[in-house]
Amino acid sequence: MKITLDGKQIEVEEGQTVLDAARENDIYIPSLCDNPHLSPFSGCRLCLVEIKGQRGYAPSCSTIAREGMEVKSDSPKLRKIRIRILELILSEHPSACLICQEKENCDEYKSTIRKVGETTGCVLCPNNGRCDLQKVADALGVDSIRFPAIYRDIEVNKKDPFFDRNYNLCILCGRCVRVCHEIRGTSTITFVNRGSDAVIGTALDKTLQDAGCQFCGACVDVCPTGALTERSLKYEKIADETKETICPLCSMGCRLDVGKYEGRILSSQPSEDGKVNQGQACVKGRFLLKNTVYSGQRIKRPMIRRKKDLEPVSWDEALDFVAEKLKGFPGDKVGFIQSSQVSCEDMFVFEQFVRDVLKSDQIAAESENSVYGILKELADESGVILPMNHKIKEISQADTIFLSGADIVSSHPIVWLAVLKAVKTGAGLIIAAPFEFSLSRYATLDLRIKPGSEAMLLGYLAKQVLGREDLSEKETVKGLEDLKKSVEDLRIEDVLKLTGIPNEETLTHAEKLFRPDRSVVLLLGAGFAGKEKIKNTLAAGWNLARLTRGRLFLLGSGVNERGQFEIRKIYDKKIDLSEFIRKAAEGKIEALYMTGPITLAVKFDPAFLVVQDSYWSDMAKKAHAVFPASTFAEDECSFVNTEGRVQRSGSIIPHYEESKPDWWIISRLAQKMGARSFSFKKSSDIFNRIEKEIPAFTGITNVSFTKEEDLFIKEEQGDKIGFLPAVYDRTVSSGEKRYPFLLVQDGGYDSYRNLDLTKENKGFAKIRETGIILLNPEDAVVLELKNGESVKINSESGESHAVVKISEAVPAGIVKTHFLRRLSPDSIFVSMLAVLPVNIKRGE
Amino acid sequence: MENKIKQSGNRQNELVHILHEVQERFGYIPPERLAEIAKKLNISESEIYGVLTFYKAFSLEPGGEHTVTVCMGTACHVRGGQQITDEMERKLDIKVGQTSADGKFTLETVNCLGCCAIGPVVTVDGKYYSHATMKNIASILKEY
Repeated sequence: MKITLDGKQIEVEEGQTVLDAARENDIYIPSLCDNPHLSPFSGCRLCLVEIKGQRGYAPSCSTIAREGMEVKSDSPKLRKIRIRILELILSEHPSACLICQEKENCDEYKSTIRKVGETTGCVLCPNNGRCDLQKVADALGVDSIRFPAIYRDIEVNKKDPFFDRNYNLCILCGRCVRVCHEIRGTSTITFVNRGSDAVIGTALDKTLQDAGCQFCGACVDVCPTGALTERSLKYEKIADETKETICPLCSMGCRLDVGKYEGRILSSQPSEDGKVNQGQACVKGRFLLKNTVYSGQRIKRPMIRRKKDLEPVSWDEALDFVAEKLKGFPGDKVGFIQSSQVSCEDMFVFEQFVRDVLKSDQIAAESENSVYGILKELADESGVILPMNHKIKEISQADTIFLSGADIVSSHPIVWLAVLKAVKTGAGLIIAAPFEFSLSRYATLDLRIKPGSEAMLLGYLAKQVLGREDLSEKETVKGLEDLKKSVEDLRIEDVLKLTGIPNEETLTHAEKLFRPDRSVVLLLGAGFAGKEKIKNTLAAGWNLARLTRGRLFLLGSGVNERGQFEIRKIYDKKIDLSEFIRKAAEGKIEALYMTGPITLAVKFDPAFLVVQDSYWSDMAKKAHAVFPASTFAEDECSFVNTEGRVQRSGSIIPHYEESKPDWWIISRLAQKMGARSFSFKKSSDIFNRIEKEIPAFTGITNVSFTKEEDLFIKEEQGDKIGFLPAVYDRTVSSGEKRYPFLLVQDGGYDSYRNLDLTKENKGFAKIRETGIILLNPEDAVVLELKNGESVKINSESGESHAVVKISEAVPAGIVKTHFLRRLSPDSIFVSMLAVLPVNIKRGE
Repeated sequence: MENKIKQSGNRQNELVHILHEVQERFGYIPPERLAEIAKKLNISESEIYGVLTFYKAFSLEPGGEHTVTVCMGTACHVRGGQQITDEMERKLDIKVGQTSADGKFTLETVNCLGCCAIGPVVTVDGKYYSHATMKNIASILKEY
């Protein structure tokens, strides 16, 4: 389709707006309320154009191009109108910074137009020139304002973490309201009042947090003025350099643009062209990246314990010390713990080192307890091959989504955006969880099922699907007969009773969502159940996905949990985690080398302990040697996200103090121990080895740092796609006599290596509600507890404290909290959050 | 209120109707009820708040026992509607939109009541008083 724009014939796509067409052809039309990700708004009226044969002026942002349309984007008349409109906007926006006579000099001699600390300077705008309004004012050449200036005198709102809201600078373009509603689904903010009283705000002027804000920062990113500004950047310079990186704070691996000034990281924002996140981020990637790199907990230099205390030494000395000591232990007495939040390169070197140099196979990794590991184990047992690679895009195209095991709004926010997209285009969403998720209101069916009854529900749905005649062609598929048998006796009365689903209609409604004409996606995470239960849920989930020709999308946790799983696939001899712990408890592991977080159930004091990490921990403090490892930001890293996507990020800052990459430390140590082959010079050397030696990475040779390509893990091919033996177990988790409540923990993903992000950032601790347990009103009556009272929580394995918050989000008998480490010794790796029977009593 | 929401089938586009029902039933929209409506309609409280602060027909504060409305339409205006409003404000010791200290009267203005011939018009709880003057305001209020 062709239109004429300013006398030039241009090609436009069907359904494209005139403004977008102009942008594509580098024709500038000023606009303030439009944003490519959002629906047209036509609020600012700056993008008005003349269209031949049409009366008046049309906003180009909401005018769809038609064949043969003749458009004028600029004319003296349009210019006059635009200037008048901008003047009206500026009459309510402090504008000295935009039309100041000193502007030119100021731009030339200062790096920022804001001259802090100079009595003659202006201190108006906190946004340091990151201002669309300024760009438009410059483009239109506005140099005076004919209308009287009105200052709205609205108090600056600083009640919430991370950013300030100064609505005196707001031009009511509504971008923040739309991004919050359309893209994020939170609808925390809205236009309050009307006409000249209109202002952006929350219901009843609540804090953002109380109004349901997830603090993703999307509103701050789309704000064209200084109305919304990141607090920590307010008095900072403008970044002089931008680098791209992969966010290491969950299993999605979002691409972020990191702003730097004189070598230091200032800010992190979602990359517009990030394939995973597409211009969006979450609270962690947007506001906490700095905290992970510059944490006060960073280990600065190598230290060893020759006598009583840890003392700083040179790398050589430290490596010699550890090499000498490790040589003294036979392979079967040495254990190694591998973090799932290091790069593929690090993981590969760890494996080589333990197997070839330490001559041990006692290397345990967090990913054994991951959703991938558990499912793979089941598949191997029954000789089934199942695909784990799925693009996040496929979720947004689904007709039916079944979600369980993770409150993705906070644990995998980017997955949530895809789910929301699907829901907004008519998909049915079933949430099956023991408590209310943050945005459960979008669910077609919000099934508050009893913990542990997930598999039974999935099994029942499978039975109903099996009962349909259209399945006869599947008769030959491996395991189908067994599946039929195993779900045969799931009677509706039992399912209703055990899951706690209120009535038959609800179940029938759920069944309907699995009709054969719908494309089904099951999203399963590892939360809110123990390992045995998760195993059943995953198997049942796979079977239902298989039956409906749908997809099972696994919600992993660590940034490279998937990568670790793929790398470790090739090793036959692996130690199971529980076996590892048992051995440790029996004293059979005398030397332990740790690169990741671990909470041991048992008192465990190995004869020799090495901790290699970026952050101090209790274990590091009692280690015999401590090696400072660099973070993701300081070296080239390859990560595999939960989609199976291989991504690479470059080094964006120099190594912190004396820290070194994990692979470097291990390689040097190996050489000290006499292994000459560990001569890696740079991370890419190792990646080349991985590509050659690990089948899952075959052919992945061209992973670039900056441009994201669709590179995916190679999966096993074959016709062994069948059903898994699932136990549709008829029991649900519940409390018992001594520990009558079930504690559900929802926040184990908020750490990076040994760093607990809630401890690192007060704002984050506040929004994650650390130290708070949610208690059902009925339970509160029984326990005679009020909001804000302190309680003691006891479990079989430990005691912890919390403050009560009464909430209907949890049903009676269940309490919910952010991760309480001390209470969860049976799940030694944080990725696995079990439900825990506990007792609750008033007390400090 | 729950019944009203049920009748409307929990549909989000029924929001304005529901707000009207609530306003009529309570005389205002009790702020603590927002959460309830939000839950039933599966939308956020802020979305409701945006709508109810947009329309003048909804109020978040309970009004007085009686609502006094002074017409400020063109015809009433030229016949002294503004003075009537000013006098009302003085008499009741409140501004337009507020409720008198004794909780008896809420004062509002309106931009035309459609009976310009008998202006300036004042209504109290829907009862019309024609040809209002500074003098007879007191007697109108005395009726209540």
